[in-house]
Formats: sequence, structure tokens, C-alpha cells
Amino acid sequence: MLEISNLTKRYGKFVALDGLNLHIDKGEIFGFVGPNGAGKTTTMRIICGLLKASGGSVLVDGVDALKRPDDIKRKVGYVPDFFGVYDNLKVMEYMEFYGSMYGMEKEDVDEIAVGLLELVNLADKQDTFVDTLSRGMKQRLCVARALIHNPELLILDEPNSGLDPRARFEMKEVLKNLGTMGKTILISSHILPELSEMCTSIGIMERGKLIVSGRVEEIMQKSMGIQPIHLRAMVPGMEADEAKAHVLTVLKEQPLVSGVSYAGEEYQIHYGGTEQQAAYLLKALVERNIMVSDFHREKENLEALFLEITNAAHAAQVHP
Amino acid sequence: MNKKFRMNPIMKKELVVGSRSIKMSIAILGINLFLTLIVILIMATTNLASGSSGYDYSALLMIFPVLGCVEVGLLSLIVPIITSGSISGEREKQTLEIMLTTPVTPFSIAAGKLGAAMTVVMMYMLSSIPVMSIAFVLGGMSWWALIGLIGILLYLGVYVGSVGVFCSSVVKKSIAATILTIAIGIGILVATSVIFYTWIGIWAYRESVGTAVSQPVLAPMVMMFNPYSPIFDFMLRSMTSTSVYGMIDNAWQTPALIGLIYKAWIPVSVALNLLVSLGFLKLAGRNISVTRNNKKRK
Repeated sequence: MLEISNLTKRYGKFVALDGLNLHIDKGEIFGFVGPNGAGKTTTMRIICGLLKASGGSVLVDGVDALKRPDDIKRKVGYVPDFFGVYDNLKVMEYMEFYGSMYGMEKEDVDEIAVGLLELVNLADKQDTFVDTLSRGMKQRLCVARALIHNPELLILDEPNSGLDPRARFEMKEVLKNLGTMGKTILISSHILPELSEMCTSIGIMERGKLIVSGRVEEIMQKSMGIQPIHLRAMVPGMEADEAKAHVLTVLKEQPLVSGVSYAGEEYQIHYGGTEQQAAYLLKALVERNIMVSDFHREKENLEALFLEITNAAHAAQVHP
Repeated sequence: MNKKFRMNPIMKKELVVGSRSIKMSIAILGINLFLTLIVILIMATTNLASGSSGYDYSALLMIFPVLGCVEVGLLSLIVPIITSGSISGEREKQTLEIMLTTPVTPFSIAAGKLGAAMTVVMMYMLSSIPVMSIAFVLGGMSWWALIGLIGILLYLGVYVGSVGVFCSSVVKKSIAATILTIAIGIGILVATSVIFYTWIGIWAYRESVGTAVSQPVLAPMVMMFNPYSPIFDFMLRSMTSTSVYGMIDNAWQTPALIGLIYKAWIPVSVALNLLVSLGFLKLAGRNISVTRNNKKRK
């Protein structure tokens, strides 16, 4: 559905996109993650035809977005990070206005708009003036607006920014529904755990480059490697200090253990192995007369992975 | 074959939004109140001046040119205010970007904004017809003069409006766009006059020292690009037996072909200035176009 190859964007000497490559299949919900200035918005604006690229190619459903931006406008629906609405315009009129921009007849727009407003839980707001809606409602209305022409690809730039938890939840539900309808969605956000719940794939951007991308499960698998194992244990017949020394010795003997810390009667083990290898670690502890009362891997944390990856990328640039 | 008429979506939206605003009602009331006051003032002055010698009805003939000039002046101020927020307002509201992701072309956006402004101008003008008709009743104007005045005001509205839309696409703030529109209008007015009078002045000097080769019959061509010159010719034709052509022909001997052009001063000048308007709209479309808007954002 979306194929980005070697996409580059320069503003004078500043490189906003540095040979970006990205592939999104039809029906995927792709989460774009990255710090401010990473190039997420620039990429999205280039896909939508709002910005000219300095180089590379962008194919949306086989159509070159850089060479045929007018054709792309019918294939893409865009929800920007910041947008306004018109005063004195009702919700249904707002939808009719944007429908007419795509050359649609009023009757067709009305029929589609009713369905879309239901999808975004605004069916009862058809006669409400758009400027009186809450921010969350405006955001959902903007999603409905972006879908009025039934685009192949929906692009949402930080759709949850500035929303309260309730509005975020409602937006998440709307996007999940769109996912079940088979829409291809490209979404950027800073709220990483929410992205992992909604998206089928994610990509992490840093300084105009895509550092990591893949299925959410694969990324999660990678994150497991950086999550510590928490251990509570005792050794029969040993005093607390002696038992602690014994456990630390046993742990440090294990080849995949890169570090161990002890705090609050709990050991934190930095373990690079898989889940199966972690089971062998537990077995080794038990065989060395260590009685284990708790042994669990800290929950996968996309945020931690994000920081780890972006920090590593930053360090590599500073000290190549 | 059975293609439905489709109104420019931006124009349609502007009309819906504008009709719900109280501003339009207040503006119509204000304009008509102002015109009515002027008519009352002329009639009162005429009444006072007539004294014991009887009412001087010929003085009431002034109503038409005075009202016409007032309408021209009002239009020159109102249209920049209406159009100067057309594009900059969309930018301020952050709605332009969404518009640009649709298949509607930047030129259509500019044209839609101008079309909406012209509809509002039409409303203002039509609402003032009852007041203008006083001049008709008192014999100061014919039906054709009234229709002609509406036509010429519409033309002026298109011209000033296109400058307004262009300025709105150049600057970010609506107030700055209003000032720039008025400045460009005055600039064109002054520039064409300065060129014309300088041309004539040089010729007059050469004539006085005996070095003039030919009469400056082409100099008035410059004034054809003055957007107010067709209005001047229209007023001259409506109120007197002469015209711009008559004035030129009296002063110099114009060749036949140039004379024909001057005879058709109003249509030729209107056509030329509407072409200039089209140029302003095209430029506005270029300024709106995203491919030119490539400044670093995030």
C-alpha cells in the first residue's frame, strides 16, 4: 500500500529526512514513533502532497505521490496534528463541504457522512456547530472528514495530543474499529503504549531515519531483552547476608547475565536470553539450593525500548 | 451531457457561514443608512439654497453622481476588508492545510473566495437600489445608468477583490492584508496617473521649446490600466454629453484605430483590468500552492 524509498528532505543544510525507507502493507495500522524533529510530520506531509521532497520516491497503491500529487489526494485522508474548524458551520455541513471538495454529490455525502459520524460516535451531533464541539469531538470529526472520500490510506499525525484520557480512549476505539474494517492507517504518536495496543506494526524514527520497524510482537520481543528479571529468593540454612552472597555468586556465573543489582530484598537481573533460556536460569538457581518465591520478567515496555534505541542512535552519531 | 451545475464548494461554504454572521446585516444597515443620510443632506442643502426663488430641481441631479462616487468609495474600502482575510484567515484558523489535501486547486480556492466576496458585494449593492432610485425618480438618471452603475461597481469589486485575495495569500495577518490591498490600489491609481501626466508634461515641454515630434496620443493608454478610469468615463457619459474619448479627441488628433479603442474606453479598460485581476488570482493560487510553501515546520 505504501512504499517509501530513500526519501530525503532538506531545508538548506538541515536534513529532515535522511534516505527514509518504509513499507506498509494493505490493512496494516502502522505506528510512527520518534522524538520531536525526527521527521514524522515531514514524512506524512510529503505523502499527502503538502510538502515537496528533495529526493526519493513515495508510492501509494502504486501511484507516485511525488510525481502525481493530485492523484494521491483521492487516495489519502489526512488528519493533521493541529487544525481548526469554521465558525457558524454545522457538523453535517462541515462533512458536506469536504465531500463537495472531492466532487461528491450532496446526497452521496449525506449518506456516507451519517455512517462516518456513527463510526466516530458523533451521530447525535449532526446539527451542532463544529466550533462548539469539545477538542476530542473535533478530533474525531476530523477523522470522519478524512474518510469522506473513502481513501485507501488514512494518515493521522498525533491524533491523541492534547486529549484527556476519556477522549483518548474514544479515539483509540475509533481507530481500532477502522483497523477491523481493513483500512490502512499510518499514525504518529508520542504515547507509545497506546500505539502498541492499536498498531499492527511500528517504526521508530530518529533524525530523519527509520531505526527500527516491524510487527509489534517482534518489537516487543526485542524489548524483552532489555527488561530485567525480578527475583525473590532464600537459601535454607543460611543467614541473610550469606544467602545474598550465594545468590549473587550463582547469578554472576550464568553466561547470559550481564548485571545484577539487589534492592528491597529483590534481585534485578539483566538477562539477555530468551524466555526458554530464562527457564533454564531458574532451574540452575533451584539446583544450587536456592528457593525461589518470585521470578518474573518486567512487563514489556515500549517506552524503554524507544529510549534505548534512540539513545543508542544518538550515541552512535556523537561517537561514530 | 446532463452535467449538473456545481457551485465552487469554497464559495458555497463562505456564503453559508457568512449568512449566519451578524456582520453582514450590520454592514447592509450601515451602508444604506450612510447613503440615505447623503440623499437627505443633498435635498436639505438644495432646499435651503433655493430660498424664496423656488425649489431648484436641477440641483437634485447631483444625487446620482454623488451616490455613485460614494458607492465606489465604499466598495474600495469594504472589498479589501472582506477579501483580505480570505486566505490569511484560513491560515490563522489552520484550515488551509486540510483544504490543500483535497483535489480542489489553489486557483479554485482563490476564485471561490473572490466569488463569495462578490456575492456579498452584490447584496450590498442590490440593497442600496431603493436609495439610488431616488435619483431615478427625480430625473437624475435613466434605468440604463442604474444598470450600468451596478455593472461597473461589480467590475470594480472583482478588481479590488482579486487584489485583496492576492494580498491575503502573501501576508499572514488579515489586517496587514487589508492595508496592503488599499496600498496597492492607491499605488496603481497613483502610478498610472504619474506616468500619464509625466508623459503629457514632457510632451508639453517639448512643444513649448519646439522639439515635439508628435502628439502624445498613446499616453491615455496608460490610464486604461487605471481601474477607476472606466468609472470616470461612465460618470462622464451619464452626466454630460462628453466622454473620455471626446476629451482626448478635443485635445489631439487621434489616428483612426487608436480613436476606435478610446471610443470603446469602458469595455476595453474593463477587459484589460479584468485580465490584470485574473493575473492577481493566478498569483494568489501560486502563493497558496503547497509546493511553494516549503519552510521548515517541525
